[in-house]
Amino acid sequence: MIPALAHIGDSHPRRRVRARSLARRTADTIGGAVSEVMLNDDLASSPGLMQALDPRIKLASILLFAVTASFVHSLPVLAALIVSTAGLAYVSNVSVASFARKVAGSAGFFALLLAAPSVTAWITPGPVLVPLGPASVTLPGLVVATRLIARVVAGAGFGLLVIWTTRWSDVLRALTALGMPDLVVATLAMTQKQIMSLLRTIENMHLARESRMLSAGTARENRGWVVDRMAFVAQRSMKTADEVYDAMLARGFAGRMPSLVELHTRSADWTWLASALVLSALFLLVDRMVFPV
Amino acid sequence: MHIPDGYLGPQTYAALDAAIIPIWAIAGAKVKKALKAKQVPLLALGAAFSFVIMMFNVPVIGGSTGHAVGATLIAILLGPWAAAIAVSIALVIQALVFGDGGITAIGANCLNMAVIMPFVGFYLYRLVAGDAPSPRRRIAASGIAAYVAIVVSAIAAGIEFGLQPLLAHTASGQALYAPYPLSVAVPAMAIEHLLFFGFLEAAVTMGIVAALARRDSALLQMRPASRPMRWLWAGLAGLLLLTPIGALAPGTAWGEWGADELKSLLGYVPSGLQKVGSTWTAVIPDYAPAFIRNPLVGYLVAAVLGAALVVGVAWLLGRLLSGRNDERPDPPQETTAR
Repeated sequence: MIPALAHIGDSHPRRRVRARSLARRTADTIGGAVSEVMLNDDLASSPGLMQALDPRIKLASILLFAVTASFVHSLPVLAALIVSTAGLAYVSNVSVASFARKVAGSAGFFALLLAAPSVTAWITPGPVLVPLGPASVTLPGLVVATRLIARVVAGAGFGLLVIWTTRWSDVLRALTALGMPDLVVATLAMTQKQIMSLLRTIENMHLARESRMLSAGTARENRGWVVDRMAFVAQRSMKTADEVYDAMLARGFAGRMPSLVELHTRSADWTWLASALVLSALFLLVDRMVFPV
Repeated sequence: MHIPDGYLGPQTYAALDAAIIPIWAIAGAKVKKALKAKQVPLLALGAAFSFVIMMFNVPVIGGSTGHAVGATLIAILLGPWAAAIAVSIALVIQALVFGDGGITAIGANCLNMAVIMPFVGFYLYRLVAGDAPSPRRRIAASGIAAYVAIVVSAIAAGIEFGLQPLLAHTASGQALYAPYPLSVAVPAMAIEHLLFFGFLEAAVTMGIVAALARRDSALLQMRPASRPMRWLWAGLAGLLLLTPIGALAPGTAWGEWGADELKSLLGYVPSGLQKVGSTWTAVIPDYAPAFIRNPLVGYLVAAVLGAALVVGVAWLLGRLLSGRNDERPDPPQETTAR
């Protein structure tokens, strides 16, 4: 483990919450993001159905499912889509509990907050279930809110499947193979590396500040320090860009990017894509014919 | 402001995904012309900075923290076209690596945060700062630009949300996607950014511009704006032409009721409100100039007059800040992008 990330393994993080300074909280957030990316790459390298697929086919099929979810309106079919994301996670050796926690904890929770006012008669009039004056809960309101939350959860589930079962290098290979210009792919690749490098720099800045501070500092002091560090990062980013370009020139860069390794599809990939097409058509057919809204 | 999957219907996200592709193509061509091969590391670092600026927790009211978007700052540093690409790349990575923002909503998120915000921010910064600004005027200009840019971007997101009940609903009128109408979604997005996030964005941008002015003022050298300023006016004209969309929203925004509407809602008009309400009569009440009969044309004319007033005030403010400042202006302008 990277020394700067060692604190992530703290087995009693809750006991320290009240005492954590802004610097420590930010360092923890950034350390969490870095370690999450590293864990995602480990997970994406482990054996499983989705991991074994050609990245182009996988991206196309997940996009197909996400688009299908956006066209589905009935609650039972949306529920089936959510179950299928969990099923795909299971056959890809992803812990279904972790998957559900992640989806519900991020997208689901915010969708719940955002959808809550729409259950009221003020936004969605209709037969009242719980009379509370202008904030009475209506039946159509409940349906509207549940549909929104279910669709957001299904979409987030498919998005998370891409993130947890595809290495970033494979996403880049897929984008190259799908005709994305080399310069764009190279910029994406370089950006991801620089993000990790800058995140580590920022994390170290915060840890260094915490180690030097005897108290948490006032909000004003912290604001001033944070803004000054942002300016430092901006300055460093621009300077590093010049240095990286000089390094590229030194290594013989002449304006063209070498293509990444070519991908080869297998019959299993095409079988999966055909299955995804059939499944999507089936979801839409059931949605329109069996549960019309 | 990152819109996840599920909030926007296919008509909206497909249109916005399709709209963003030519913008990226134009931005790519513009940046390639200005930056040549140097664009790759510069854009990558710009995108990485755009990403990490959102990871900095800034202390705000009551011990809580918030974060800035930084698109205006990146536009000031790299120019608006390069910023459009850099912020777009950061948003794509956020969606594909960190799950922040939906895959189908990439077009909408990029339009709001990587196109509208840097363009509005950059050209407003240029308008207020002028061609050879003093450091103080530059810092003030960056704050005004960042504040307005994030508010305009939030309003764009509010319009996208608010159009959903109009575009997709059941036969009985139930919304199929984001359920809030324009009269709720636009004020909700605008108010939280006008009262809170706009000030945070402005404070962070001003702080960084001030720090950069001390550390390395070359990074803040002004980019050529004679031709791009035309885009500002073209963009402003485009936005003005779109303002009649606001007239499509039925009813009045929550909390903005007039005496007549309150009477129909409550059965009476509170006496205090009646008393205070008659102390001032707006020049153009309800965005409807008295001399124009067509409400859509009236709305458009009101928008033109309002925009002219805002531009005039911004210009006067710029002149005022310029006149007050006794600090020396920057060295001669850079004629090519970094």
